[in-house]
Amino acid sequence: MTNIIEARSVTKKVALGKDNELHILKDVNLEVEEGEFVSVMGPSGSGKSTLLYNISGMDRITSGSVKIKGGEIGSLKEEELAKIRLETMGFIFQDINLLKNLSLIDNVMFPALVSTDADKNVVNQKAKELMKMTGIEKLADHTITQGSGGQLQRVGICRALINDPAIIFGDEPTGALDSNSTEEIMSILAEINKDGTTIVLVTHDIKVAAKTERILVMADGNIVSQKKMRKYDAQRDDSKEREESIMKWLIENGL
Amino acid sequence: MFVKMVKNDFIRNKIITMTVFVFITMAVILAAGAVTNIGNLIQGISKFQESAVPADITVMHAGEYDQGKIDRFTDQYRDHIAMQETMVLQNIYGSNIHFGQNQTMAGTIQDISFVLQNKNFDFILNLDNEKLDVKKGFVAVPIYFMEQHDLKIGDTITVKSGWYENQFVISDYARDFEMNSPLTSSKRFVINQDDYNEMLKMQAGELEYLIEFKLHENGDAAAVQTAYNEAGLPANGPILEGEIFAIFNSMSDMIVAIVIIFISMLLLVIASLCIRLTFLATIDEDMREIGVMKAMGISRKDIKKVYLNKYRIIAAAAGIIGYLMSFAAVNLLNRNMKLYIASDLSGSLNYILALIAPILVYVMIVMYCKRVLKRIDKISAVEALRSDIMERGKNSFPLLKNKFFSTNIYMGLRDVGKRFRLYRLLLVIFIVCTFIVILPVNIYNTMSSPEFSSYMGIGKQDMRIDLRRTDSITEDFKKLQEELQNDSDIEKFAPYITSSYQVRNAEGSWDYMNIESGDFSVFPLKFLEGRAPEGEGEISLSLANAAKDGLNKKVGDEVTVKTDGQEQKLTVTGIYQDITNGGKTAKAHTSLGVNEEAILWYIVSLDLAEGVDARKKMEYYQNAYSTAQVNDIKEYTQQTLGNIINQMGTVVVGGISVAIIIAVLITALFLRMLLSKDMSQIAIMRSMGLTLKQISHQYMAGTLMVLIFGIIFGVLTANLLGEFLVSLAMSSMGAAKIEFVHIIWQTWLLCPLALIIAVGLTIYISCKVAVKDDLSVVLRS
Repeated sequence: MTNIIEARSVTKKVALGKDNELHILKDVNLEVEEGEFVSVMGPSGSGKSTLLYNISGMDRITSGSVKIKGGEIGSLKEEELAKIRLETMGFIFQDINLLKNLSLIDNVMFPALVSTDADKNVVNQKAKELMKMTGIEKLADHTITQGSGGQLQRVGICRALINDPAIIFGDEPTGALDSNSTEEIMSILAEINKDGTTIVLVTHDIKVAAKTERILVMADGNIVSQKKMRKYDAQRDDSKEREESIMKWLIENGL
Repeated sequence: MFVKMVKNDFIRNKIITMTVFVFITMAVILAAGAVTNIGNLIQGISKFQESAVPADITVMHAGEYDQGKIDRFTDQYRDHIAMQETMVLQNIYGSNIHFGQNQTMAGTIQDISFVLQNKNFDFILNLDNEKLDVKKGFVAVPIYFMEQHDLKIGDTITVKSGWYENQFVISDYARDFEMNSPLTSSKRFVINQDDYNEMLKMQAGELEYLIEFKLHENGDAAAVQTAYNEAGLPANGPILEGEIFAIFNSMSDMIVAIVIIFISMLLLVIASLCIRLTFLATIDEDMREIGVMKAMGISRKDIKKVYLNKYRIIAAAAGIIGYLMSFAAVNLLNRNMKLYIASDLSGSLNYILALIAPILVYVMIVMYCKRVLKRIDKISAVEALRSDIMERGKNSFPLLKNKFFSTNIYMGLRDVGKRFRLYRLLLVIFIVCTFIVILPVNIYNTMSSPEFSSYMGIGKQDMRIDLRRTDSITEDFKKLQEELQNDSDIEKFAPYITSSYQVRNAEGSWDYMNIESGDFSVFPLKFLEGRAPEGEGEISLSLANAAKDGLNKKVGDEVTVKTDGQEQKLTVTGIYQDITNGGKTAKAHTSLGVNEEAILWYIVSLDLAEGVDARKKMEYYQNAYSTAQVNDIKEYTQQTLGNIINQMGTVVVGGISVAIIIAVLITALFLRMLLSKDMSQIAIMRSMGLTLKQISHQYMAGTLMVLIFGIIFGVLTANLLGEFLVSLAMSSMGAAKIEFVHIIWQTWLLCPLALIIAVGLTIYISCKVAVKDDLSVVLRS
C-alpha cells in the first residue's frame, strides 16, 4: 500500500503577543495509507485538531514537510492549495459550516459547480444520489434552518463527497450530535471508507474511534501512541468489543 | 461589560466610526454656517433697509413728464403717502464709459445711469452703510461694476457722450438697496451736483424718471398704485413695489444658504446610512452577546444604551466641533453678503441661532439610531443565541436555475437578492451619487442649448439685434430693416417692437404690460398651450401673465388692452414660457399697432444664409449700429442668465467630484464591512477549495450589479424627478415645464462610465480578500 499522507517533523507555532509563542505541534511524524480509516484522540489542547488542519493544508506548518499523494504541499501557492482542496480532499466540521444562503442540495452541489467544466445535470444527479445514500433526499430544497444537527451533518458529508475526494478529513464530525446521530454518521463514513476513500478524523469519543482501524493518541503536541485494529465491519456487530479493547489500551498506556 | 462593548465597537470599526464622525461634523459645519448666514442676511438686510430707506413704490418713466401732476396726486393721497421724490436718471451707454486701458463698459446688459443722491429717502450708501456724499470730480461706482471690471478706489472712469467728456475719480462704491442685485437691470452711479448739472446741460444722457413714493406705516401700496394708474400719470416703464428689492437683494445669498443646507442634509443622510451599515454589521456580529445579555435579564433599554451611547458621544463631539468650526467656514460664504449688504456682520444673535444646527443634528442622529435599534426589541434571547437567525429566508435563486453566468458570478448576483436589505444601502448611495452627477449635467446642457431660447419667449434663430431707446431709435430701426432686406447673407429676418400698454387686470383696474408685436410665424416659438397670434385681435401670454396671480386667463379668454385711448379686446390664442422681464410678457399680432409713446425696445431676429461667418456678420452689424446689441442666440442666453451657466459648470465639476468621493468612500467601507461580516462564510468556501480570486469575483459581481442598477435608477430619477424639480423651481420665474436637453453620450455613457471606473476600481481593490490567518482560526472560532 502507498502512503497518501506523509508528514515529517511537522511543527506548528502560534505567536502570542510580541515575544511569546505557543508550540502546538512538536516534530510530528505521520503516515496514512491509501484507504485507511484513522482517528486521532487526545485531551483538549493536545494538538489533534491542529494536526488535522496542518496536514490537510488548511493551515500552514511552521516547519517540516507534508506530502499528499506524494506531492509536497507546504510550498504550494494559495491557488494550488485550493485546487488540491477542491479535487483531492473533503472536510467535515463539528460546526457543520454550511453556506447560509444556499439550500441543502445547493450546498452539496456548490464545490462541484465551481469547476468550470462541470455539467450541472450530472452534478445534480450525483448530489441527489449522495443525499439518498445518506437518507436526506427529502430535504434537498430545504434551507439550513430547516434541518436538525444530524441531518445537516449528513449534508456536510455529501458536500465533502461530491468531488470524489481521495481523502476526507473530519474535525470531530459527531461532536455536536446525539448518540443515535453519531451512530448513523459513523456507519455512513465506514461505508465510504469501504469504497476506498481515506478518512482521517479527530474525536474524543471512544465509540467513534471504535469504528476506525487505527487510533492515534496525541499529548502535548505529539503522537504518543497508536493502536491498529481490524477494519470495522457493521455485519460483525462487534462494536462493544472494539470499544472495550480501546478503553483497556488507553488505561494500560496511562492515557 | 457595557464599557467593554462600546470600547470594542470603537476599535473594531475605527474607519467607519471616523467616517460617521467626519460626515456629521461636516453636516454641522455647513448647517450652522448656513443658519448663521441666514441670520446675518436677515439682520444685514434690515440694517441696510434702515439706512437706505427704500421707496415703497417706484414708477419708471421715460418721455414727457410733469412734476406738477405728481405733486397734486401726492397731496390727494396724503393719507397713504408720506413722501414723494423724483430721481432724474441720466442714462449713458456702456460704450460711452471708458476706464482702464481703452476699455469700455459696452456689452453690459445693465442700463447705466448717473444720478444725484436723493434728499428724503431711497439713499444710495457707501460700504459702511452711510449716505454717500460725493465731491466734485468724483463718482461712486455700483458694486456690480466694481466686481465686473475690477475697479478700485482712486481709478478713473471717463464719460464721453456727444460733446460731453469728463473724467471722474472713483471715491466710493455705491451700495444701492433698490438696484444692487445683478437681477435688476439698471445700475446707478452717484455724482456731485455740479457734475450732474453739467452733464444735464450738455445733454450727455437720455433722461429717465424714477417717481418714488414712501408710504406711511399703514399706507396701502396697492390702493396707491391703482389710483396712480387710473389717474393716467406718467408710467411707461415698470412699477415696482418695495418688497421686490429686498427679495432681489437676498435672493442669491438665500439660494446659496438653501443649497448649503441641502448639501448638509445630504451629508446627514450619508452619515445615517453609514450608521445603519455599522449597526447591520455589528449587531449581527454581537447577536450572541445580545442574546447572553437578554438571557441574563438585562433590559432592552440597557442593551440599546450600549449602542446608542457610542453615537451620542460621536454626535455630541461632532456637534461641538462642527459648531465652532462653522464660524470660520461662515467667512468663506459671506463675501458676497459683506460686499452687497453689510460690511459688519457681527452680532451675538448668530451664535445662539447657529446652535440650532448641532442640536438638531444631535437629535436627528439619536432618533435615527433609536429607530434602527428597534430591531433589538424583535430578537428573543433564544433566537439571538442561534447565530444563523439573520439569514433565515426562502430557498430562492437555486443554483440550477442559473443559465447565463458562471456559478461564482451567480453566487454574487444572488447574494444581492438574498440580502437586499444590506445591499439596498449601497443602492441608495449609488442612486444619490448618480443623481448628483446627472442633474447638474442636464441643467447645464439644457441652459447652454440653443433650444433654451424657447423658455425665454423666443423662437429658434441664429442671431438677434436689440435696439434700446435712443433719440435715433426709430430711424435706426428702419435703416436696419432696409439693410437686412438687401443683405444676401441674411436668409430671413423679422422685426419685433415691444411697447408698454395698459391692460385690464383680474381686479378690473389697469396695469401696464409689455407687449411685443410682430410676425411670429417667421421664427415659431414653442407654445405650452395653443398657438402664436396670427391675425387681428389675437394675443398670446407668458405663463406668469396667464397665471392666477397675473391676468388669470386661459386660451380662448379675452384680454382688454388700451390703444390710443381706445379699449380693444384681444383673444388669447396661446400660452408660452418666458423667464425674461420677470416672466410677464405678451405677444400680439402686428395689427395691434404700436404705442408710439411707450416703445421700450426693438428687436430683429434673423437667420443667416448657409456658409456665412456668423462672427463677421455680428461684428459688421455691431459696428454699423453702435448702440445696438448684436448677439448670437447662445450668447444672448448666456448674457441674460448672467453667470448661472458658468456656476452650473462649476456645480457639474463639483457634483462629479463629490459623487465620486462619496461613492468610493462608502463602497470601500461597505465592502470592508461585508467582508468582515462574511469572514466565516469566506473561510468555509476556501475550505471547500475555492480560490481567493473566485471568492472576490462573487463580491465584485454583486456590487457591480448594484452599481449598474444604481446608475440606471439614478439617471432615470435625475431625468424625471429632476425635470419636475427644476420646473418647480423655475415656475416662479415663468417656466413651469422645463424639458431637459439630453446629451445621451454624457448622461448614459460618460458620467456613468466615470462612476463605474472609480467605483469599479474601489470594488476591485476592496474585494481582494486578504489572507492573514490560518483557515482554522476562523473555522473553529
